[in-house]
Amino acid sequence: MDAAALKLRRSRRDMLVQTLLVVFVVLVIWVAISTAHTNLTELNMTSGFGFLERATGWSYSFSLIDRSIDDSYSKTLLIGFLNTLFLGLICIVLSTILGFAIGTARDARQLGLNSLATVYIQIFRNLPLILQLVFWYAVLIHMPGPRQAFTMGEVAFLSNRGLMLPGFNVSPTVVLAMFAAVVLLAVVIFRQKSLQPVQKLLLWLVSGSGAMLLLAWIFAPADSSIFSIPAQQGLRFRGGIGVPIELVAMILAITLYGSAYIAEVVRGGLNEVPSGLTEAGKALGLSSRAIWFHVKVPMALRTIMPPLGNQWIFIMKATTLGVAIGFSDLFYIVSTSITQSGQTLELMGLLMLSFLLINYSLAQLVNFMNARLALKGH
Amino acid sequence: MATNIAKIACAVAFAAGVAAPVTAAAKSSTVTAIEERGTLLCSGHNGSYFGFVEVNDKNEWKGLDIDMCRALTTAILGDPDKAQIVPLSWAQRFPALQSGDVDVIIKATGWTMGRDTEVGLQFSLPYFFGGTQFMAHGDLGITEAKELDGGTICVEAGTTIERLAGNYLKTLGIEHTMVSYEKASELRAAYLANRCDAFAAWGPFLAVLRATELEKPDAHIILSDQLSNEPIAAAMRQGDEEFVDMVNWMIAALLIAEEEGVTSANVEEMASNPPNPKIARLLGVDPGMGERLGIRDTWAKEMIAATGNFGEIYDRNLGEGSPYKLERGLNNLWSHGGVLYAPILD
Repeated sequence: MDAAALKLRRSRRDMLVQTLLVVFVVLVIWVAISTAHTNLTELNMTSGFGFLERATGWSYSFSLIDRSIDDSYSKTLLIGFLNTLFLGLICIVLSTILGFAIGTARDARQLGLNSLATVYIQIFRNLPLILQLVFWYAVLIHMPGPRQAFTMGEVAFLSNRGLMLPGFNVSPTVVLAMFAAVVLLAVVIFRQKSLQPVQKLLLWLVSGSGAMLLLAWIFAPADSSIFSIPAQQGLRFRGGIGVPIELVAMILAITLYGSAYIAEVVRGGLNEVPSGLTEAGKALGLSSRAIWFHVKVPMALRTIMPPLGNQWIFIMKATTLGVAIGFSDLFYIVSTSITQSGQTLELMGLLMLSFLLINYSLAQLVNFMNARLALKGH
Repeated sequence: MATNIAKIACAVAFAAGVAAPVTAAAKSSTVTAIEERGTLLCSGHNGSYFGFVEVNDKNEWKGLDIDMCRALTTAILGDPDKAQIVPLSWAQRFPALQSGDVDVIIKATGWTMGRDTEVGLQFSLPYFFGGTQFMAHGDLGITEAKELDGGTICVEAGTTIERLAGNYLKTLGIEHTMVSYEKASELRAAYLANRCDAFAAWGPFLAVLRATELEKPDAHIILSDQLSNEPIAAAMRQGDEEFVDMVNWMIAALLIAEEEGVTSANVEEMASNPPNPKIARLLGVDPGMGERLGIRDTWAKEMIAATGNFGEIYDRNLGEGSPYKLERGLNNLWSHGGVLYAPILD
């Protein structure tokens, strides 16, 4: 038999194996779905997604947009999705910043700084996240009540109900527009090659605040101030931006835990940078800050990026612990929806699909950044 | 021919069946069995269900439901101490009744269609209404849900209470934040730490929590609003209508006594000098009260002397005279803003 015939045989065999595998997987899924359908029909349980249009009739602790108990299940689930995304992104940003700082401290020569960072990592990395979350929640809800709230200049308040901050007197849509404007300005300004980094930052801060003020001035109700300052009235604070204590506890716990892991990833990455490079930097007379920014971090990022992406995905998944303390993340909304509507399989499917979507997008982002960072020609 | 004989046999049997109750004395077979036994078997609880069925370390029972049972025992046997309390869990109560381990279930049991039909029970007049209520921190200085505007409410996630509370506050137009917890223990901790202004749950449960588990009961107040209602009634075996009559009239007599101001303190005086014909009939001064049920005419008088009227029973076990201080609310007579009423005593 000649080589060509052998190759053909092999490709046919491969084809057959692949086809069988696909057929098998499809068969398993089909059997699972049809069994579930038969069983549900026998139990007289309704299946399908018709319930998504029904009003829920229950409320929950946190939402980024206006909500009411008349909202449909689909809107309530969307709110849960937004809450998870919002919490996840905040925690990712904060724990990445904190993780880089602590990872750098762990890499530092100073014994004090180094051991402090080590203690931090060992404590927060080795205790189960749910334990830390319940602990922080217990600490936070034992703070004084709204009437005895800690105040910062009578404009911001911290009580066991949450953090009250002054904000603009505008609707959430305008806030979204402000956010978009600030991001846009950042993109435009940081692309300017002629400016120094400090100048860019200053320019961005000034123009960003200006844009926000302008938008607030345009959209604020005519007869009131553009700022909304929280004030104690009756049982709660009115005005301003309210961050419920559940959200504060979630951010605190997930950030501390996530940053400890990211710190270890960063330390590993910094360790990987050949000492010859840092020594070369020193020989050129660069300051240690310049070495960190221009030599160590750019080199280390290549090692850091893939495990950092994993940590980001982990942080996203950690938001599901909200159910333990009454924070209305997607998992919480889904689990309450299950007990209230009884549509277990459909809701579980939606939950899985949502997390698949979020985390697949995150993974794609990390892959994209990885590709950008890769050394050309390697 | 054979079919005709069968038809005739059927008709005879049917006629006999219809005629039998008419000719027999209108006395309940359960009451007869109780009299023969000399004790009345009542449902207790496996532990204490505070306010309703409580037991202390000396195996002494008390509570609203226990007093109702003692009232029934006095009515039938003339002595409250002849009530025998059989400890039962929630799940055991219906099988225990069906198998004859107890004569009646008087234990915070709600009247539902399933129990009335599939489980094969008969329910008496409701003697208690328990619904979802709010408990709030006393330092807020509020007494009803209307004043909760802007407040935070804690509930157990995934319950009917979650929906009831949300719906109720929306109807009142009260702006609020609802924080719901998966576990009752977390909910309680959050409420105690003042994370929420109010706590929505089944009223009697809140009263118990307030009185027995909170360090300073007076620092918490149960708001007067009733968000839902469950009629609590005595449950009996199907098929003994006369016993249902007995239990219904026991409850009715307690309510009529309260309505007419007959108490354990003045019952003897009222009996010797009845102020009106209704009281005379109730206390057996005018005959008929017992005869129609197949027992003594003075049963209601003895019962009121032993346990007091319904108001006294309530106050002693749940109201002002108890550690729980539960307001009567709906569990008052219709003439005092409640929903309790007795059938007409003629």
